Amino acid sequence: MTLAEFREEIRKLKETKKYPELKSYLLPALWIAEKNFPAITHDVMRVVSEELSVPLVEVEEVARFYAMFHTEKKGKFIIRVCTNLSCMLRGGEEVLSELCRLLNVKPGETTPDGLFTVEEYECMGLCDGAPAVTVNEDRYTNVEVEELPEILKKYGWKG
Amino acid sequence: MEKLLLRNIDKENSHTIEVYLKNGGYQSLRKALKEMSPEDVIEEVKLSGLRGRGGAGFPTGLKWEFAAADLKEPKFFVCNADEGEPCTFKDRVIIEKDPHALIEGMLIGAYATGCRYGYIYLRGEYPIGRKILEKAIGEAYEKGFLGENILGTDFSFDLYIHSGAGAYICGEETALIESLEGKRGEPRIKPPFPVNAGYLWKPTVVNNVETLANIPLIIERGGKWYSGIGSPDCPGPKLYPVSGKVKKPGVYELPMGTLLSEIIYEHAGGIVQDRKLKAVFPGGASSSVLTADEIDVPMDFPSLAKAGTMLGSGAIMVLDETDCIVKAALRLIEFFRHESCGKCTPCREGTDWLVRIMRRIEEGEGREEDLDVILSVSETMENSFCGLGMAAHNPVASSVRKFREEFLTHIKLGRCPYRRG
Repeated sequence: MTLAEFREEIRKLKETKKYPELKSYLLPALWIAEKNFPAITHDVMRVVSEELSVPLVEVEEVARFYAMFHTEKKGKFIIRVCTNLSCMLRGGEEVLSELCRLLNVKPGETTPDGLFTVEEYECMGLCDGAPAVTVNEDRYTNVEVEELPEILKKYGWKG
Repeated sequence: MEKLLLRNIDKENSHTIEVYLKNGGYQSLRKALKEMSPEDVIEEVKLSGLRGRGGAGFPTGLKWEFAAADLKEPKFFVCNADEGEPCTFKDRVIIEKDPHALIEGMLIGAYATGCRYGYIYLRGEYPIGRKILEKAIGEAYEKGFLGENILGTDFSFDLYIHSGAGAYICGEETALIESLEGKRGEPRIKPPFPVNAGYLWKPTVVNNVETLANIPLIIERGGKWYSGIGSPDCPGPKLYPVSGKVKKPGVYELPMGTLLSEIIYEHAGGIVQDRKLKAVFPGGASSSVLTADEIDVPMDFPSLAKAGTMLGSGAIMVLDETDCIVKAALRLIEFFRHESCGKCTPCREGTDWLVRIMRRIEEGEGREEDLDVILSVSETMENSFCGLGMAAHNPVASSVRKFREEFLTHIKLGRCPYRRG
């Protein structure tokens, strides 16, 4: 997405009249950015700031506050591995370390080809299927270490 | 027990309006709008004894009465679908399998309190739920249950989804409102309460998903009928999400006040590999731990408070004899450190110190004095600005109190006795 297209998307968002004041459009605008840019950079934030009449610093503090917004460059696919209690009790940490070993990254890092970012993540509400992993919006539950290569291959991992 | 909250979820396409309507859906809304005044609706909900299912357990009818009494316009009705308490996944089931029950509950609540606009604050981690809710809202508009002059009455209500973006604190209602306003999710001082000064400082009702799913039932069958289910002082059906070392993790609908032991052994199938149960966090990550001797306790607000813990979201996390309590409590306090918004010192610093101390104990570098420091930090955290910090230390402090020997073993051995390999 270009910055001009992004600006257009925010204008469309404002036309929904979903909120009675401009600043409330901030999270929805940042969601559009999160889904369409590799990172929510200052250039991206500036467009939000201008369209919503919110000071740039307030856009940045919000972008940095929420765990799902990436202000640093992320991979095409974000792999979130839950290691909170129920997933931990059922092997979430082993899943995370095997995933990091396969992709040769540490939690929080992105593979050099820009395909995957691995995140150690907090509870995603999939505890009945612990341990749980998500890849962008896809869910994987009761994940076993052995099936990780197969999951990765679906997203273009050459292994 | 007859399934009430989960009555629709096993039906094919239960998330569609066709299936919902076929099973009597939106009849309660019709009844409320055509046969009852807003005051009648509030009276019925008060009579039911329904208490909020998000964690705090505030009487829903009373909240609605406060909001209805405030005459500032416009008013907002917000559904708190920011289900972030670790190991809580009960609202997800309603959102994904019975979204119209939630929408109908919101409509009835908005009618009772005079709210014109509504938002569902949905956690960012539920993208599948978002798509289902978007479709359900679209269907409700198409059939005339949302929008202007609903069912030919003067009542109008518009409903939107607002996606969170991964911040546990936004489940706290004033932080949620800040987030809705496009800010960092930091809690506000109370009072004023959201019912008087919420979104854009206008009267705002904030109700949890499960709470709202009860409303069509109460209107359909009456508050008196509802008040006869489960515990007399906090009646109704309750969704208990059970996870951890049980044979059948899942969401179980049972009368409020069902014994914890019954939920674990009869409904969730008992402990994996028939091991011994070691400990249970009975109400999410913020609740104090219970030992195996303490699980014959009714799962409701007053009984768990009496047992020194809390019902919270009702999320039951079960540990077996092979699990390390130090490691479990460490993982929970790590969560709270990550999610502390940083606004107040007791929570920001307290969660950080508890993580450092707990980690060194787990790694075999703890000292016996650490246990007193943990309890002292916990006491200080009681002075936190909001509920997050006030409760964050519970899993750690209660573990130290109830499993002191296990902590001492870590310290004496200089390693975690449960660590494999």
